[in-house]
Amino acid sequence: MIDLFSTPSILWLVFLGTTLGITVGAIPGLTGTMLIALSLPLTFSMEPVNGLVLLVAMYVGAVSGGLISATLLRMPGTPAAIMTTLDGFPMATSGQPGRALGLGVGASLVGGIISWFALWQLAEPMADISTMLGPFELFSMVVLALAMLAGIGDSTRARGLLAGSLGVLVAMPGMHPASGELRWTFGLTFMNEGFRLIPVLIGMFAIGKILQDLTSKDGKIEEVSGNDSAWVALPVWLSNLFNLVRSSLIGTFIGILPGIGANIGSLAAYMAAKRGSKQPEKFGKGSEEGIIASEAANNATVGGALIPLISLGIPGSVIGAVLLGALIVHGLQPGPLLFRQNPEAVHAIIGTVLVANVMMFIIMVGCAKWIAKLSSIPKKILFPLVTGCCIWGAYALNGMWFDVSVMLIFGIIGWQMEKAKLPLAAFVIGFVLAPIAEENLCAGLMASGGSYLPLLTRPISLCLLSTAVLLIIWKRKQKESSTDPPQS
Amino acid sequence: MFLFPIRQTFLYRYLNLILVGCVLVIETLSGYPQKPITVIVPFAAGGGSDVFVRIFQKAIRKNKLCPQPIVIKNIAGAGGTIGSRSAKNATPDGHTILCLHDGIYTAKHYGNADWGPEDFEPIAATGRSGVVVAVKEDSAYDSLDELMEEARDRPYQLVYGTNLGAPNHYSALFLQNGKSGVKFRFTQTGGGAKRLAQLKGGHIDLTGFSLAEYQQFKDAGIKALASLGEERESSFPNLSTALEQDVRATHNLMQFWWAPKNTPPERIAYLQNLLDKAMVTKEIKESFQNLHMDPVIQVGQELQKTISDRSQKLQGITIEKPTALPPLEWIILCMTAVCFLFVIRETKSA
Repeated sequence: MIDLFSTPSILWLVFLGTTLGITVGAIPGLTGTMLIALSLPLTFSMEPVNGLVLLVAMYVGAVSGGLISATLLRMPGTPAAIMTTLDGFPMATSGQPGRALGLGVGASLVGGIISWFALWQLAEPMADISTMLGPFELFSMVVLALAMLAGIGDSTRARGLLAGSLGVLVAMPGMHPASGELRWTFGLTFMNEGFRLIPVLIGMFAIGKILQDLTSKDGKIEEVSGNDSAWVALPVWLSNLFNLVRSSLIGTFIGILPGIGANIGSLAAYMAAKRGSKQPEKFGKGSEEGIIASEAANNATVGGALIPLISLGIPGSVIGAVLLGALIVHGLQPGPLLFRQNPEAVHAIIGTVLVANVMMFIIMVGCAKWIAKLSSIPKKILFPLVTGCCIWGAYALNGMWFDVSVMLIFGIIGWQMEKAKLPLAAFVIGFVLAPIAEENLCAGLMASGGSYLPLLTRPISLCLLSTAVLLIIWKRKQKESSTDPPQS
Repeated sequence: MFLFPIRQTFLYRYLNLILVGCVLVIETLSGYPQKPITVIVPFAAGGGSDVFVRIFQKAIRKNKLCPQPIVIKNIAGAGGTIGSRSAKNATPDGHTILCLHDGIYTAKHYGNADWGPEDFEPIAATGRSGVVVAVKEDSAYDSLDELMEEARDRPYQLVYGTNLGAPNHYSALFLQNGKSGVKFRFTQTGGGAKRLAQLKGGHIDLTGFSLAEYQQFKDAGIKALASLGEERESSFPNLSTALEQDVRATHNLMQFWWAPKNTPPERIAYLQNLLDKAMVTKEIKESFQNLHMDPVIQVGQELQKTISDRSQKLQGITIEKPTALPPLEWIILCMTAVCFLFVIRETKSA
């Protein structure tokens, strides 16, 4: 593995892939999946190993790049960076954009390295454990994640839940995720798939934010300013060591689960950090623990998602699926035998996860000064640019203008929700999780012949559900004791 | 007497040459293809269909078979119906075509699309893949026969993981119809990777895989009980067919290339010729071997027959609706309304 990465041409590919990945990850509307699918034909003429190195480096870069726009513009470049907006942007607007970036980048590196270790040493046992989770367990896990929405950001519990359930509601039209029947499509074929994640996400966050800034009459625009260093000293990392490791482990394990991936990984790590924090009230207002949890977890999902890909031949994420396709097109046979038949390909994948994470860290820290300048671009240049990228991104998704109009409509919805103090992150996460919850619940019911009992008789499911209930009850107690005195 | 058949072949050959010549002349005159040929893949990048088209893309590119590049456009969603619809409505100039397998028949039969093969000009069918029925490695069933008897004696007990409405679901239905009295309990599991994970975890009792999926997964702890081919698969000669085990079920998967209705016939001929040339390249031969696909190509009459046979075969299938599912959309609507009331109360009291 060391031989491979000591050749300059391979290192150049990792550098190229990581840089491109960071760039598309940072641009709202463009995603890593798009980049990798577009680059795949270009790798045909390469050696399989070189092609894989380039693609995996892009994957790592794309997940990391999202934190730039999430922190500086409050527009998550990728779905995985939603949780980073909650604390990264407040910290950046309070005059510490460099520090916010530095925390995110450093946490990403740690998350990447921990998940790389799991991928390298523990791939097989972890993949086997993940198959123990059936539809009922996955449903309970999503319910637990939804229960966490109640405490998201700095909004009240009712508002968090309302935003979350609105998101779930918006996910309903389209093909039923389990029975495959159509619902609420009003006979319109372009509604068959319902609303897609990318147009909804960039509409709510990017277009919504632009509308909000354009229409604020009192000139009270939250500006990112400051010129501080992105270098975060060692003691800060040491005091956050537990948070870093916990978030990375959560990210790695959730990354393994097909279809759940990076979004829940960072949500779960963020909420765990908030529960475990000595200063939970700072979450949503620029907490360093929040940035660290979200970013460590979302980079950790990369290694996690590659675990089932390498050990079982099944992808743990959308990008994982594209990589799987790349293996086949390059004439390799994915699956448990890949290790034996093409060890060089496996080593290339595993090695790239490590090297690309380190490369990402060097590039981002080295360029942090210039990256932070992004926010000082005048609004009359930045806004048309971002809007253009969003329209292009939404259109490029499927080449349909329907997606563009969905994005614009959700821009207006996002802008209005922000005014009503409904947390956008809860909305989008509800939207992402609803189909997963519904598919798994219905699949479980079909398999059990309509009985809900396994939700309570299967130990893992029972455990997850009771945690969800506890979270809501405990939350209420905490709220009453902490917020009542000042109100009365 | 002996000369006659030889002459006929000669005549046939010349006629063919003249025809190909005409097509080539027309091609040069019309300048087709003037721009990249877009192949719509109605599934996400990385899936089986996507990989299939990318293999052709690679072969055509490496062997310089076409002056214009082949561009893949993934329009995923709703079981392939979003992509097939946009291909159906594309400009019929041969620059936009669709590659879609048996899903084109099943989506219509299942009621998710009101268009089907008759709404396209078929170009060709390339590549046939066998289907196997598989269980977990340590399952109690060692033969399809035992399993089918169990499913007959205890109907609706064995859980069959499928992708409802997709060809994979129909393989399962053909299997169920293969022996009278057999009933499975169908559940939604999803694509090949998810079916493997659920089978391995013991959450479903059996499922179907394409040969390529089976080859990929067979060492991950599963075993095949039968293939659904007419004959044994050449790549797995020890695996007996369902027919041999007294179950009258056959099914296989084919990839079809479709052009929008009214695409000029000479352009269809050009595409057929292109695919035909691609099929004999080293790249396609190797990839097909790796994916355990028969390197067949069908055009013209043979293709028409395949299409009508496949549409016909589905007519005999009736779908039993799975267990009544909770009306989640209405539950969510009520929940949202309740949350809304809470927020209003909160706003008023603030």
